[in-house]
Amino acid sequence: MKKITISFVLTLFMATFAMAQVDRSQFPNAGPAPQIKIGDAETFTLENGLKVFVVKNTKLPRVSFTLVLERDPILEGDKAGMSDFVGEMMTAGTTSRTKDQLDQEIDFIGASLSASATSMYASSLKKHQGKVLELMADVLYNPVFPEAELEKLKKQTLTGLAQSKDSPDAISQRLTSALVYGKNHPYGEVATEATINNVTVADVKQYYQTYFKPNIAYLAIVGDMDKAEAESIVKKHFGTWKKGQVPTATYPTPQRQAKNTVALVDRSSSVQTVIDIAQPLQMKIGDPDYITSRVLNEILGGGSSSRLFLNLREDKGYTYGAYSSISADKLTGSFSANASVRTEVTDSAVYEFMHEIVNLVDNGVTEDELVKAKSSLAGSFGRSLENPSTIANFALNTERYKLPKDYYATYLQKMNALTVADLNAAAKKMIDPSKLYVTVVGNGAEIKEKMAQFGEVVEYDNMGFVAKKIEMSDATLTADKVIANYITAIGGQEKASQIKSAKVSLSANVMGTALGLSFVYDDANGRFAQKTSVQGNVMQSSVIKNGEGSVSVQGQSMPMTPEQVAAGKLSSYLLPELYYGALSYTLTLDGIKDVDGTQAYKIIVKTPEGPSTINYYAVESGLKIKNEDANSGDTFYSDYQAENGVLIPRLYTIKSPMIPVPLEAKMESLEVNPTLTDADFN
Amino acid sequence: MKTTPIYSNMRKITALGLLAGMLSVPALAQNKIEFKEFTLDNGLHVIMHQDNTTPIVVTSVLYHVGSKNENPERTGFAHFFEHLMFEGSENIERGQYMNIIQARGGTLNAYTSNDITYYYELLPSNELELALYMESERMLHSKVDQTGVETQREVVKEERRQRYENQPYGTILPETLKRAYVTHPYQWAPIGSMDHLNAATIEEFQQFYKDFYVPNNATLSIAGDLDYAQTEKWVRTYFSEIPKGQKLVYRPNVVEPKKTAETRDIIYDNIQIPAVIQAYNLPKKNHPDSYALSMLSTYLTGGNSSLMTKELVDKQQKALVVAAIPLELEDGGVFIMYGITNMGVEAKDLETEIDKLIKQVQDNGISDEDFAKLQNIMENNIVSGNSTMAGIAENLAEAHVMYGNANYINQVMDAYSKVTKADVQRVAKEYLDLTGRVVLYYLPKSAQPAE
Repeated sequence: MKKITISFVLTLFMATFAMAQVDRSQFPNAGPAPQIKIGDAETFTLENGLKVFVVKNTKLPRVSFTLVLERDPILEGDKAGMSDFVGEMMTAGTTSRTKDQLDQEIDFIGASLSASATSMYASSLKKHQGKVLELMADVLYNPVFPEAELEKLKKQTLTGLAQSKDSPDAISQRLTSALVYGKNHPYGEVATEATINNVTVADVKQYYQTYFKPNIAYLAIVGDMDKAEAESIVKKHFGTWKKGQVPTATYPTPQRQAKNTVALVDRSSSVQTVIDIAQPLQMKIGDPDYITSRVLNEILGGGSSSRLFLNLREDKGYTYGAYSSISADKLTGSFSANASVRTEVTDSAVYEFMHEIVNLVDNGVTEDELVKAKSSLAGSFGRSLENPSTIANFALNTERYKLPKDYYATYLQKMNALTVADLNAAAKKMIDPSKLYVTVVGNGAEIKEKMAQFGEVVEYDNMGFVAKKIEMSDATLTADKVIANYITAIGGQEKASQIKSAKVSLSANVMGTALGLSFVYDDANGRFAQKTSVQGNVMQSSVIKNGEGSVSVQGQSMPMTPEQVAAGKLSSYLLPELYYGALSYTLTLDGIKDVDGTQAYKIIVKTPEGPSTINYYAVESGLKIKNEDANSGDTFYSDYQAENGVLIPRLYTIKSPMIPVPLEAKMESLEVNPTLTDADFN
Repeated sequence: MKTTPIYSNMRKITALGLLAGMLSVPALAQNKIEFKEFTLDNGLHVIMHQDNTTPIVVTSVLYHVGSKNENPERTGFAHFFEHLMFEGSENIERGQYMNIIQARGGTLNAYTSNDITYYYELLPSNELELALYMESERMLHSKVDQTGVETQREVVKEERRQRYENQPYGTILPETLKRAYVTHPYQWAPIGSMDHLNAATIEEFQQFYKDFYVPNNATLSIAGDLDYAQTEKWVRTYFSEIPKGQKLVYRPNVVEPKKTAETRDIIYDNIQIPAVIQAYNLPKKNHPDSYALSMLSTYLTGGNSSLMTKELVDKQQKALVVAAIPLELEDGGVFIMYGITNMGVEAKDLETEIDKLIKQVQDNGISDEDFAKLQNIMENNIVSGNSTMAGIAENLAEAHVMYGNANYINQVMDAYSKVTKADVQRVAKEYLDLTGRVVLYYLPKSAQPAE
């Protein structure tokens, strides 16, 4: 190791020899608290109303420009989701630059430029600021909103929406917002396929023309630039921006409900339950209780030293993490406590959540907790100041929320003055443990009954709408009867049992690629073979026979585990219902569900080995319309046509989180009772 | 809930620059980082950087021990120690290490690589003495006992599941290293083997601590709102009494032989979409060619305008994503290139296209415009690189340990300035050598019946 010795080092070194042995039994005390200097943003306003903040920081030769529009939140109604397109539509080309040109020019100087419905952001090295501002101004003044770009964005959004319907976290978030704020509130409304499809280029243009006005805009400049330079460049690039009347809006304040209720989304494939316990809370930045709410949340569930984490994870081991939040926003805020827990402990976990919430409200916090929480929050406040954009954020908040000028300068002082009594009073005021939404997304069959102890259980669908409540009109109905009805519906036991084997091939098209699926069913002998080919080449195949199975991928074969064989067998029959009894499967009827608008009986089919699958049989027709399987995702059956007097579906629609778009597989051929040889199963 | 993004960091890196002709080769220059350094008698090297802008201070210790220093029968030790080192010391009770730092308003973390183990805490500047005390306790007499070992074994098991076994493509690094190195201990990844950790005795753990967690194998790097003289005084107070290690620190002296044949394998994983991985052995981290290789990787896959992203993801749509990552290591790392295929595209098909593009760079080099763009991107990255105290402390420590010179932190831009357009082509030819590379296909483990 290279030594660089500096002369004064020697002197100090001598001095230490004289020092007594260090006392290691005590933690060193903190030195005098450093003065946290919060730099001020300089400010000026253009004639068109654009208000500018300049936070000069010359540490690095960089500069960033952030434009924020301050408008009332908007309710988009039957075009919910429209505003999410605005930003990308604006950067999709201008009257003088195509999207490619724009991207090229940004990229070439190593800069970044982006936009959203209420903001624009550009940053670059100091020496490229002229160029990046020119590009930012071009996007601000001259966007062309290409039709093709909207189509592309809509497609991406619809794919994302489809995926989100399978994502427990996304389902939970959508449900909780819809409940806490209400669906007719800007914070709670839900974008659906229909509302996305309603959006037109004209809507986006209209939005842009209405809201991109300097009189509701703030521009924050952070980095290597002083006020004088800022004034000159802002005038040059933003001086000609025309002001305009911008609409305002008010909304009814979300109210708490009268008593605790449970909102459940049944996701039968879940192994974990996403729990979110929430209620609306009137809170915005700068409210008298705002700083108190930060400390209160830190103690309850702000991090890994908080009560929820210590109880549900460290003590009980129910979850990888349990947290709470108290949000503050322009119209309203909310309280929320959440975790993902193993299905089996769902009720115990909710019990512990409720216990912690009630305990906080009834018994308050301790002095020790308060001291630690203050210290931890003060530390993170101090660290946040390392980033100069924090100062710009403070200046923006001071304006947007009409805060006193010294709000942030005295923030820590205000926080440190809080007492245990302040916290305890705030807990009672902010959280009402008797008016909570307890939302759970998980395996309904396992958790629904256990949740009743926390309040009336209402079921919702994966888009946050109340699930269509369907009563079983026939209380004597059993799973066996549903299966018997199905067999009757497809043509009766006699005809169905005549189909002992079949060869089936299906074809699908995925983004221009031809996909082929072929199956050989030997139901009577419990044999099965399957092949998937892409553009004619076999990519994957599997075989089950004599109680064993193997899978082969691109020519490499490997045996299945007994568990895989059991799971594979569930889908290895053309008409599996005929064999459920012989295979000793357990069938459970789990009520009537809504399957894309059709009422259907839900039957859980469980193998003795463990793996299970779920079938849905239409109430009216008796036909099987859907299968849910942990391995293959959701398969919808339609276009039933008779073969040898037995109805067999000719269209499979497969939805799985593994594939980006639903896959439509059409039956190309169906050969009943073909001559089978061993070669078919090799 | 809708929120208003105020500072959107969405970076759009796209398409080639048109304006190359208008810009002359930029004069690359970086802001100078001032620092002071000294070495204690016990060998501990100390680097300090003063910046009083914000009242925070980062204290970090880099131990020059990584997975490459491990006994081949006891892999995973270095990473396991990183966990163990938060268990406490003779004066810090079990579990209190993190709590005390957080209660004093700080935050902390650590990581382990093939070459180093790095610890840091970020605290209000009036808590610098606490941070130095905590790190000195860790170096002087950390708690290496059975209880801690048992607890951390379980935690590391969960980490392993979460980050490798349960993660699609999570085993790419271990599987690649296993084949890219035949003799060098880089052949195992820092996570190591659970069996080795289970088999190890408490005495072995204690010995590892004595061998590697010694001041002469450590670099203490402190950056932020500090006073040089006071900081040095505290450092001497807390660290001087720590005894020097008794023997030479073990460093493998193994030269990985150049491979003469391609290694090709298939890995079956819990994935749906096949992936192609190629790995090419690299020179030592401090070799002058590292800069050209870094520019080459940016040229190939850095952003939407890069060669492979544009050609394979946008145009041909054969890949969902492609990435070239030079994993730079002290004794010579690997240039890892991976591509995840698009729906219905065979791994082989994607690999062929990747190879064509590599050949294109080798045969034709890159254009003036592309070279200018690369220089601009490098400049932007380097300028932005030293923007936080945490980053500066880490870069100073790494400069000292890996480049033998803390002032290397100020010389990175110079090094990049020396790279020429021809160098980028040359390193593509020299290092992306097909004959000695490793190629892995990741394929779905058990494609279930498609119904």
